[in-house]
Amino acid sequence: MIQNYKSLVFILLLPVYLNGQVKLSVNTIPKKVKVLLDGILMGESPIKNERISPGVHKFEINKKGYAPLVYDIIVNPSQAVHLDFFLNPIYQIKFKTEEVGLVFELNGTQQWDNKFIRLNIEAGDHLLRVFKLGEIVDEQTIHVDEPKKFNYYLKKSLSED
Amino acid sequence: MKNQFAFFLILSLSILLGNDFRPTFLVLNHFDRSLSNVDSTMVNTFSNSIFEFDSTFHVLFENIDEYENPASSYMVTIRDLGEKHNVDYILYNRIKHDKNRFTLDGQLFNTRSGGLIHRRKVDLINYLNGQINELNMWIGNVAGILDNEWQLNRESIMFSDPEDIELKKTPLGAAMRSLVAPGWGQSYSGKKISSKVWAGTESTLSLAILFSYLKYDEAAKSFLKNLNLYGSSDDVQKVTGFRTQAEIDWEKHKKYSELAIAFAGATGTGWVANSIHAWIIGPRPYKNIYQKWESQKPNTAG
Repeated sequence: MIQNYKSLVFILLLPVYLNGQVKLSVNTIPKKVKVLLDGILMGESPIKNERISPGVHKFEINKKGYAPLVYDIIVNPSQAVHLDFFLNPIYQIKFKTEEVGLVFELNGTQQWDNKFIRLNIEAGDHLLRVFKLGEIVDEQTIHVDEPKKFNYYLKKSLSED
Repeated sequence: MKNQFAFFLILSLSILLGNDFRPTFLVLNHFDRSLSNVDSTMVNTFSNSIFEFDSTFHVLFENIDEYENPASSYMVTIRDLGEKHNVDYILYNRIKHDKNRFTLDGQLFNTRSGGLIHRRKVDLINYLNGQINELNMWIGNVAGILDNEWQLNRESIMFSDPEDIELKKTPLGAAMRSLVAPGWGQSYSGKKISSKVWAGTESTLSLAILFSYLKYDEAAKSFLKNLNLYGSSDDVQKVTGFRTQAEIDWEKHKKYSELAIAFAGATGTGWVANSIHAWIIGPRPYKNIYQKWESQKPNTAG
């Protein structure tokens, strides 16, 4: 009896509850990406006609081979909100140099001094800095648009010519 | 009765056809850079809707996210605007540029209730006619028109899935070519010298097999001939000569047989090695990066 009463209250309150919510659609490129809303798996994109309450929410978008995306959003009270997420692929890069005594730094974070290294980095532009004997000798942006190998060469100084 | 029904049907249809049921929109565009022909493009693309434009009214919607309930904050304004312009909806589009990216914030308000009914936020890398394309996608979503070309146009800026990247030339392609003809794979990879070396080596080895086989065949035939002559002759001197010649032919036939086998082995091994070599040096995407900064000249000042 109590169970039936609870069910009835739930059914009666459902439209009130849904009325305060916002219709949510999530579209991603690429498709078939796992979408987590506030840590709970919503399913795979594209997501249509889901419901979300107004307020602050966190979306986490994951797909193998792509950089994960975390997105905080304030959902305003409205009838519908449509979100588009664009995931960036991760490419395997080989970085090689024959030069001696160089230290490389990518995006101000990752450093290495090996002559050959494999890196998994996001597609797009990355800032490469080169150091020799503790001093910066070069800085440039490298464009990563496919899995490829980069060969780094120092310019010959005039004294070496 | 039938006549009355027909009259009622005709009257209803005439009322329906007489009215224009296309939704009407007041468009408030707020772009930080001028976008030419946006208004006319919208009117031409979405013929199922009627648009009115008011470029003077946008300041109110600037910081909508800062309000606790932004939709209700503008309700009166939205309703007033709707009444003033006699429209069903207000479409507010804001485009902001930041270096090579732009954001589109689209908001759709219902003028009857004054509430925000649909919102779309897009943040992406700039692409050719990207702003117009994104506006089309947003308005298309609102007006119920979706063109696949817009989606394809947008996807054109995205980096490819590593699994979808198809290289024109691959190491496997080089290996297969070298398996068919030694040196072809190297030539396909642009390694002309190693291509010639492999082709030359394999050709020489193949010729050596042919030469050894011909010599072997010649020695075998000669041996059989001398063996027959040895059997049929009664002359002691001739018999000795035929025997000696047959023994020489036998040795030659053995030697060239072994040589042919050795060359065949070398050719086969070389063939496979050439294919593996073609795979190793096969075409792979690469980029040479040269130091951009000028090298410092040595300080020669005393």
